[in-house]
Amino acid sequence: MKISLNWLKDYVRFGIPAERLAHALTMAGLEVKKISAVDGDTVFELEITPNRPDCLNMLGIARETAAVLNKRWKEPIVRGLKYPSKKCTIDVLDKKGCPRYIATLIEDVQIAEAPRAIQRRLTALGTRLINNVVDITNFCLIETGQPLHAFDYDKLAGGKIVVRRAKEGERIITLDEVERPLDPSILVIADAEKPVAIAGVMGGKETEVEGNTKNILLESAYFDPVLIRRASRKLGLSSDSSYRFERGVDYDTVKTGMDRAVSLILDCAQGRVVRRSDVAAAFRRTRPAVPLSVERINAFLGADESASRYKQILKRLGFSVAMAAGGVLKLKAPPFRADIRQDVDVIEEIARISGYDRLPSSLPLIQAAPIQADAKREFRRTISDLVVAQGFYEVVTYAMINPESLVRSRQADLEGIKVRNPLSQDQAVLRPSLLPSLLSAAAFNINRDQKNLKLFEIGKIYLPLGEQDVLGLVIMGQHGRDWRRQENSETDFYDIKGAVEHLLSRGGLKDVQFERSDYAWFEKGQGACVSVEGSSVGMLGKVEEGVLANWDIKQKNVYFAQLDLERIWSHCALKQSYRPVCEYPAVIRDVSLAVKRDIDFQQVKEIAFRLGEEILSSVQFREEYLGEKIPSGCRGMVFSLIYQSSERTLREDEVNALHGSIVQACIFELGAIQR
Amino acid sequence: MNWNFQEIQERVEEETQGILSAQDLEAFRIKYLGRKGMIQEIFASLAGLPDEQKPLVGKGANELRSRITAVIEKKKTEIREKENQARHPLMDITLPGVAPLAGHRHILTQTIDEICGVFERLGFTVQEGPEIETEFNNFTALNIAVDHPSRDAFDTFYLDKPDPKNKGRYLLLRSHTSPAQIRIMQKHKPPLAVVVPGRVYRPDAVDASHSFMFHQVEGLLVDRHVKFSDLKGLLTVFCKRLFGDKIKMRFRPHFFPFTEPSAEVDISCYICDGKGWLVHSPSAKMSLPRDPKGSKGCSVCGRKGWLEIMGCGMVHPHVFEAAGYPQNRYTGLAFGLGVERIAMLKYGVQDIRIFFENDVRFLEQF
Repeated sequence: MKISLNWLKDYVRFGIPAERLAHALTMAGLEVKKISAVDGDTVFELEITPNRPDCLNMLGIARETAAVLNKRWKEPIVRGLKYPSKKCTIDVLDKKGCPRYIATLIEDVQIAEAPRAIQRRLTALGTRLINNVVDITNFCLIETGQPLHAFDYDKLAGGKIVVRRAKEGERIITLDEVERPLDPSILVIADAEKPVAIAGVMGGKETEVEGNTKNILLESAYFDPVLIRRASRKLGLSSDSSYRFERGVDYDTVKTGMDRAVSLILDCAQGRVVRRSDVAAAFRRTRPAVPLSVERINAFLGADESASRYKQILKRLGFSVAMAAGGVLKLKAPPFRADIRQDVDVIEEIARISGYDRLPSSLPLIQAAPIQADAKREFRRTISDLVVAQGFYEVVTYAMINPESLVRSRQADLEGIKVRNPLSQDQAVLRPSLLPSLLSAAAFNINRDQKNLKLFEIGKIYLPLGEQDVLGLVIMGQHGRDWRRQENSETDFYDIKGAVEHLLSRGGLKDVQFERSDYAWFEKGQGACVSVEGSSVGMLGKVEEGVLANWDIKQKNVYFAQLDLERIWSHCALKQSYRPVCEYPAVIRDVSLAVKRDIDFQQVKEIAFRLGEEILSSVQFREEYLGEKIPSGCRGMVFSLIYQSSERTLREDEVNALHGSIVQACIFELGAIQR
Repeated sequence: MNWNFQEIQERVEEETQGILSAQDLEAFRIKYLGRKGMIQEIFASLAGLPDEQKPLVGKGANELRSRITAVIEKKKTEIREKENQARHPLMDITLPGVAPLAGHRHILTQTIDEICGVFERLGFTVQEGPEIETEFNNFTALNIAVDHPSRDAFDTFYLDKPDPKNKGRYLLLRSHTSPAQIRIMQKHKPPLAVVVPGRVYRPDAVDASHSFMFHQVEGLLVDRHVKFSDLKGLLTVFCKRLFGDKIKMRFRPHFFPFTEPSAEVDISCYICDGKGWLVHSPSAKMSLPRDPKGSKGCSVCGRKGWLEIMGCGMVHPHVFEAAGYPQNRYTGLAFGLGVERIAMLKYGVQDIRIFFENDVRFLEQF
């Protein structure tokens, strides 16, 4: 909200420069966002928090300024008004929506320009000038915070006001010349026939006060904040009036605001008051009495001040304060402070006016934390460290994606949770997979000539069952660049597999299996399901060419993996224990076999371990060989069998015997040829 | 026999020049120091000399021996160095080292850890909460009325997933981390000291300072006698740890539905040092009277000299009530801050979108 300092000086006198006033108001909770000089005046732009509707006007700011600076303030003088006893025809059908409605009929007004003094005030704050009557209603709104509306009385059908809900199908053209559809959730001001204003939001074009207007009906009302807020949101229309009604205007100002406007109109636009009505439901805002002990205030603030100091602060704010026995203050907030409901509200007032900066500061005693640290978070941290140590860069991507990006990634079958109110299609669904996010991050980099990528994200995916923490990895291009070597090898399947194997084994997981599996987004035969102790924990593979093309990625070798961290966590061996390092020498025997293409290394390993008794400690793959010397339809494999015992040194002959039988079994069972 | 030590000395010097290899050196050593070498010869000749000459010649021979020994040692080192150089050619130490494979954690993750780390060292525990939340936890329990303007600051994405506990309403993406407070309080009794990091969502149009997804860290301390002064002290320690001892701070009254009293914390602007203006600018168009000539308004703090960095306050009694705590038994303090904002201020990142673009040239800077 904007305020003018010249205007403020009408109500409160202060000698300090604008900057110091701005600081004082800011430190009392009325933040001055901007100071600007306008035509011999200084304008403050204030941020008024939603709990302080009483400050959305000049008088409110004057009261606050007076309290902060410890000065007096004065209200404008309203000349004694004598209202006639004749009533307007007012029919309030929705009493809950409109607990108070005051109407004043003024006849024979002279529509002209408003007096210079009023014009200057309004222009300083950027309010558009219309004519004396409308300008006065705007002036009073800014001064008192009470929204007012003037109707051209002669244009009101039946000379009547009905406050009611709009009927289905009714429409109105508002002052901004937009036709708006109405419905029963919206409160309207109607004449005998049709809506003439959207209550609390904006008047109708048809009954607008214009140059030829003779008689005006002035409205001042209290509308239900929730109703006004909903209407304003529904219509996508907010105004200075709706802004104040939503936050709550003061029940008493409905009358004083009206009186101020009537007196100004009579002064500046002549006319005479011929009818007046004040339709008030039995609605009273009562301010609860809040008992508060000085001891409590001091304990809460960590301060040590006297009752009289607190009493003095509260009096400055317009509280009625009485001292009761035992250091208890009996308090009542002023009527315009609807936000003061309980003791902490009063304590805040004391703190605010004392100045937060002047209150003491201390360090809390933090007792030994009874809550365990979140172990899953620490586990994610460990995983993240393991992945970073492998040279991956962490990315942070949006949890919401465009459903079209799932189609592009051939994951349209995955069910994501839809967002009901996205700003655009780009946020229409919560991602059910990290693949689109990581491909999008990769594509962004590739477009900027960064082609050697190792990216990961530890984030959430959202499935119908709920949100899940997952790890996503993507690798492409060449890595481990070394100028000493001529060529760097291009990423392949075994890079992504190695990355996953490494972190699962460092995570302490046993019985990890990779099984060939088909996924729509992986190349056929190049996707694998990762399982731990027989249950699936994720997948990895080579991203299918069509998918890459959909993402405009020209590189061919792009590998992706996604692991479910919750499931990995459930298999994770939390307790690590030391395993003695073997003291006896190992015997290493290399084997070179040619096997049919459909024989996996896993089968070789199974045979070796089946026969290997206690002394085969591991099988290490050395090389895959596809040269000319290998019969067609076959491939060469070189691997080492490592024999070792933790109890003794192995004898040459026992190793030879066992090794021979393993090789024989491979030849016999797998149809392998020894090379 | 007559020994002319000066002459011998000169000869030795001369021969020294000619020693180039280990072999030369050995020959030289044998010639002078060997069993049949000159020094031995001189000593052997002592017997035949008149008594008065004996001490002179003996002294001369000793001096000669030590001089030659020194020469040999010096030459030995010289030759060894020469040979070494021949065996190991000079490395071009200006060629680049081969970089080890090193990854990077995202700067937002690092910032979250840094923030949480400060509080952990002060005795807080890190907890988390879900992103998909109920209206109750995100609003109602936090004293935010669904139809009140105070909700405007927490605009929310709703999901196409009905709330099982609230008929006709839908689940939502939390618009702040505060609902985690409710979950933690419902589960645990005080004393409580927790920090909660996490992602939050608000339907804001994306621009340089707005994002529909961002990160927050929330803190909560609840006990029998937590005071407003504790809030000031705790957050002062935090800000100084994070931004350095030199910064100035201020607590400014503000409004949050879930705390009372509430405050915003400002730190002095790190660009203009809290002055609001920068010296030296030829295009100083909009300086205020207080600014010195030739200065220009600081754009980072918008000439205020202060940067708003977090919101905080004393937990509102309604929040305790919603969490099921007995009335008037506890007091608490709570605070919340935006991780992106902190990272932007700390590292001078001007556009929030950069965090989510994940350009590797950005990522590898941290």
